[in-house]
Formats: sequence, C-alpha cells, structure tokens
Amino acid sequence: MNLRDPHPRCPANEHTLHRRLFLKGLTGGALASTASFTGLFQNPVFAAETKKAQKHCILLWLCGAPSQFETWYPKPGSPGNGPFGSMPTKVPGIHYSSLMPKCASIADKLNLVRSMKTNQPEHALAINLLQRGGPERPGFTRPTLGSSLAQAMGQMDAKLPNFIFLDPIPGGNEFEGFKAGNWAGWLGAEYAPVRLGGDYTQFLNTEGASIPQHDRESRETLRKFLTAKYERDRSSAVARSQNAAFERMKGLSASADLFDVNKLPAKDRERYGPGSFAQHALMSRHLVENGAPFVMVANGMNWDNHVFNHEIHQMLVPELDHVIYNLVTDLEERGLLDSTLVIAMGEFGRSPWMNAARGREHYPTAWSMMMTGCGLKRGVVTGATDVDGVDVIEKPYSEQNLFATIFTALGIDPYAEYDLPGMPTFHRVENKAEPIRDILA
Amino acid sequence: MKLTRTKQYEIPFSVLGLATTPDGAQAYAACMDGSVYAVDTASGRTEVFEKKHTSYASGCVLLPDGKTLISGGYDGTLLWHDVTTRKCTREVKAHTFWSWQLALSPDGKRVASVTGQYLAGGWKYEPAAETEPSVRVYDTASGALLASYPHTPPVLSCAFSPDSRHLAAANMLGEVRVWDVQAQDGKPVSQWTSPDFTSWGSTKSHHYSGGIYGLVFSPDGNALLGCGMGPMVDPMAGNGKMTWQRWDWRSGKRIDQIKDGQHGSGLMETLAFHPDGKHFLMAGRQAQGTWNVAVFSGADGSLVTSLDSKSRLTHARFTADGKNLVTSVIVGPGKVKPGQPWPAMGRVQVYSVEV
Repeated sequence: MNLRDPHPRCPANEHTLHRRLFLKGLTGGALASTASFTGLFQNPVFAAETKKAQKHCILLWLCGAPSQFETWYPKPGSPGNGPFGSMPTKVPGIHYSSLMPKCASIADKLNLVRSMKTNQPEHALAINLLQRGGPERPGFTRPTLGSSLAQAMGQMDAKLPNFIFLDPIPGGNEFEGFKAGNWAGWLGAEYAPVRLGGDYTQFLNTEGASIPQHDRESRETLRKFLTAKYERDRSSAVARSQNAAFERMKGLSASADLFDVNKLPAKDRERYGPGSFAQHALMSRHLVENGAPFVMVANGMNWDNHVFNHEIHQMLVPELDHVIYNLVTDLEERGLLDSTLVIAMGEFGRSPWMNAARGREHYPTAWSMMMTGCGLKRGVVTGATDVDGVDVIEKPYSEQNLFATIFTALGIDPYAEYDLPGMPTFHRVENKAEPIRDILA
Repeated sequence: MKLTRTKQYEIPFSVLGLATTPDGAQAYAACMDGSVYAVDTASGRTEVFEKKHTSYASGCVLLPDGKTLISGGYDGTLLWHDVTTRKCTREVKAHTFWSWQLALSPDGKRVASVTGQYLAGGWKYEPAAETEPSVRVYDTASGALLASYPHTPPVLSCAFSPDSRHLAAANMLGEVRVWDVQAQDGKPVSQWTSPDFTSWGSTKSHHYSGGIYGLVFSPDGNALLGCGMGPMVDPMAGNGKMTWQRWDWRSGKRIDQIKDGQHGSGLMETLAFHPDGKHFLMAGRQAQGTWNVAVFSGADGSLVTSLDSKSRLTHARFTADGKNLVTSVIVGPGKVKPGQPWPAMGRVQVYSVEV
C-alpha cells in the first residue's frame, strides 16, 4: 500500500528512520512517522517531546444512537420533545436537555454539531458509515476511524496499542456483528483494535499468573524463531502484520495495570459514576495520559431505545453528562485537552415522534453530536433543525464532513490517497468533503 | 363477557392518565402536553383545565364528591382542580422527579404519588438508592403531606386497598411494598420481589428496564395484582410476555399468574376489576399476539374474552354499573413532515360491556 500524504509516513512493515522526515515530524505534527526508531526513545529529551507532541482521540461511541432531544438539542414546545425540560448553558442562547446540567456548565468548552444528516437508518449500515466515514464499496473494506488514526498517529514501538477499544459487553445485536468484522480494512491487522474492558481485561492478568516466568520466556523464544522463519519462508505481509499485533499484545500484558478499573483512583471512579461505561471512560483518560493515541469507549448498544426511551434515557444521559464533564475537565486540567480530540456520538439520532412502545425510532435525517479538544474551537454550536427537529434547515453535515473535520483537527490530511495494488484509488475522506469549518480552530 | 367499542374521541396529545365519574359520563384525561382535558363521553365535547403541568401530566384522580380532580405530572407536582370552574385551587410540589402514577384511597381522603429517577447505581446499572422518599401520601382535603415511604426508585405504580387502609407500590425491579397508612412507623407491613417483570438485556440494553406498571387490590382486599411485561433477552424488541401476577399481599406469596397460551407479548399498563367482582381486565400495548385488552376470571385467572384495540391503552375504568368501560389511549403520530401540524395522538374510548 502506498499512502500519498503531504506528511508521508513509513509503510507499516518498513521500520526505517528518515532524518528529514524526523525533523519535519517534530514540527509538523507527523511525529508518528518517525516513531519506529527505538533508539530515539532512550533519549529523554526526545521522549518528552514525543509525549508532548502526541495527539490523542477519545471516541465515546454511543452505540444504538442517543436522542438529540434528551441531550444536545431539546425542542421545548414541540409535541415530540419529551418530558425533560431544557436548560440554559454557559453559552448564551444555547440550551441543553435538563438531563445534562454538568455539560451545560462547561458548554463554553464543548462544540455541538446540531445538523448531522446521514442516509442510513439501520444500525449495521449506519455503524459502518459512522465508523468508517463513508458508504460501503463492495469488495473493499475501508478502515475505521480508529484504525486510520492508529496508522496516522500511532507509534510503532509504543507499549500500548495504538487502537484500544474498551467495551465490556460481548453482545450488542448489530454492533456485535460489527465488532466481529474487519475494523482495519486494507490497513492490516496491526491497526485493528485491541479489545479490552470488563471481562476482556481479565486475561491480561490471568495469563501472567498462570505461566511461570521461565516458561513464558521459553515460549517467547520459540515463538519468535518460528514466526521469523514463517515470515522469511512465506514473505508474508499478513504474517508480519499478525506478528506486529502479537508484539503489541505482549507490550499490553506488561501494562495490565492500566486496564484494571480497580487500580484507578477511588475519587475519580466516584466522580465518573459507577456504570461500566463511566468507568471505562475514566480508563480512557488514564490511557491517554499514558500515551494511547486512540481509545474508543462503548457499552454495547444501550442507546437504542425503541422501547422506554424516556425511562432509559433518564439514566443513560446523566451518566453521559458526568462522563463528558469529568473527561473534558480532567483533560484540560492535565494540559491534554489541546492535544486530545474528544468525540461523543452514535450512528444516528432518534425520531422526533414517539412510537406506541414509549420509544423513539432510528433517525439519520437530523441529529446532533459533540466534539471538542484538539484542533477545535470551544463553545461553538453549528447547524440547526426546524422547530420540531424533523429536518435540517441550516448547514447539513454528512459523515464525510465529520471525518474531514476529525482528520483536519488532528493535523492529518483528510484527502490523502491510498494506492492499493489491484484496487481503485481511495482517499481518507472521499469527494473532497469539506470539514466543518465553524468548529475548526 | 363481551366488549364492544361504542365511542372514540380524539385528544390532541397522548393520554397517560384517566379518571371518570362513576357513571362514565365525564372522563378526565391527563396528557403529554401537561394538560388535563375534560371529555363529555356522550357528546365528545372537550374542555381543558386552566392550569397545566410543566411536563407530561401522568395521572389524575377524581374525589368521590365529583368536585375536585387531582392531577400529577412529570414535573413532580400535584395540582388540585375545581371540576366546575376548571381552575387550579392548589399546587403541591411532591417530588423533585416525576410523579409516575397517582392512586386515590376509596374513601377519598388520601392521594398517593410515586416517584424516582432511574440512575446508575452500579456496574450493571443497578438502580441507585433513592434521594427522596419514593412514595408520598397527601391529604386530599388540605393538601398536607401525611406520609412518606422509602422504596427503590423508580417506583412506577401504586394502589390502595378497598378499605383505604393499605397502600401498595411497585418498582422497576418488581419489588412490591405494602404499608398500613394509619401506622406511624412508616415500615412496610409486607414486601416481596417478583423477577418476572424486569429485563436486563443480555444481547442489548445492558441495564434494567420494565417493572410493574399497574397494581390493583382484589375487591375483597386479600389479593394484590400487578401487571407489566415479562423479561426479554432483547428488551428493545418490546416483546416480553404480557403478564399479570396475583399475590397474597400479606405473605407476599404468589397465588397465580397469566396462564400459558393465553397471552401475547407487549407491555401491560393497567388493571381494573369489574364491579361484579368476578372479573378483572388487563390492557396495554400489543407487540405480538391477538389482543391488547383482555378480561380474566377473578376466580381462577383464566382468559374470558379479549380484543385488539389497535392502539396502546394506558388506563381503563369500568363504570359503577359495570355496563361500560372507559379507556385512555396513545396513538403514534407516524412520520411528521416539517412544518406540518401533528395529528391527534390521544383518544378516549368507550366500550359497552355485556356480562
């Protein structure tokens, strides 16, 4: 694969350092392109600069799709608004749902896009769309946002995986199907997520405890020998890719404590809230503090409230309110918000009208999402829908506009080309879709 | 027994709560726009009460003298309305969260309101403990608070015993508590939990949902019935078993429940005993099956008759003579076009009852 990028990085399987690029990377935000040179990290000055320049992204993936009316865009007076009131925020004239008082108090630090307009009303396709930033093209699997960012921002020698996916829930209907699929697409397995959280984290500790140290070392020597031989014999990119992933997992095991919820500070755990989503959101902050470039936090498919929308959103939204407030505040206090992009979104919104089962239906036509941090202004609200929230009346934005914004905010060329053997030319974002300039810094 | 719909009147907004005069001539509908509407069930003439709730109006009860209507709302407020003038005569802030449901003691002296927000209390989203009493009882004459009882929120339903002595309240987790409202200690005289009304989704919806949405004491006061929807692997399918259970409330032991083969799926929200004391009705929404309104034998719980009203019934009340049934209804508006008016989403229906 050849990626034509204004800030080109090394192909994943050629860990070489180019001095000119290295120097450029230090100042140009493409530091990751040089990060495969292990020796550099033994230099404390370089290591400090690396940490400082590293950009991060936390995606709070609200799978199932939250209601915009009960979160970012209440419509007081509309028959479909629901029972929760709206409340003023720190941004004059902007109201959030009354379920979000904490976020309302830091609205000047958040950006809202209130005019997302996408085309997929079903979960499976919409998850793909909002995870990959473009519609499916049969035969070609576009990498997910996490995989793309892992490739663009990740460090090859980092102990932590470049794409960490925290989700304690094995199931999730359509999301379960997505989770079992191909996240990294044509980028290869080394850019697939390492899935942790809940019971998925336990193996990090159990493996270490169950195998004696000398036995583990023997196994590792044998594994290295066999896999190197396999790579030589087969000249297999797949094998290299899988070995890279294995190496990452090995480093991960050494960092097991970072994934232990019980080792997180008790006061922090209390602030974020007791639910599994909140605890993993706190873990995402902890991982970013320790250098993880991309962390995606999900909790199954809890937001798909076709039934009992208000009865469940009354619990989920306050949890999200606490999570976003604490996450943004903590990152800012730690000096990390300017280098960390925080995104909270689902795969679409929910219908302005209720169904007979006390629920709201899928609604891609007009929905809202929040993003703040790295590369973005603060306190901006862009786009609008009509009085009932039925359709976008101002500044419709697609998934491609959104992805162009994310890449631009992180200093990554959104239109870089992927030249893949035997495949058409792809771009990180197709159609030269414009980023959402209202919120870009 | 046979139920036949004889009348239906449109209300602009979905109806969550219903009260009727004993003869059924007047119905009072608590609606999602916060208003309470008076409906003449003979002519269909509708009038709105002057004072609205600032969120959904969730329930209303009519005092035995027929002069005062008390409504509760998702604004946590109880409003006393003069039925004749349609004006509000008293406003009481009962809760910081919703009033989910009201119950009036048969002697008309007490009105109970139940509340509680479902908030995450644990890793698996166990409900957090209450931050205010989940059950409050007020004097209908003075509006004074008579009692506050603890429960685990959210508490969805409540009912008084026929002798007005006992109050039952049930929550999302299927926990039922019964208090003697004349006792001073505030402790429940009985409590138990039925796991058959609550879901924790194992494929989706990894939190709790459901609960006991309707309660009613048997006419002899010895049994308590609760209704709702059975547990689901995927709660968002909304297709749990239509469920009622009957308990000896003093012991908490289950007496019986809806029989296999006699139910469809969907949330059941309301229970009502026919004045003959021999039958009870359960109604709600049908997800799958052949009915959403059914009458059961009070003696053995077997299905007597049923019908599909093609809409979600939220409340049902028999007239005192047992010849009619008045129901409140929510109709989904369907897709709404930008700038277009919303269709009427509420209904009040009247059914004739042939025993």
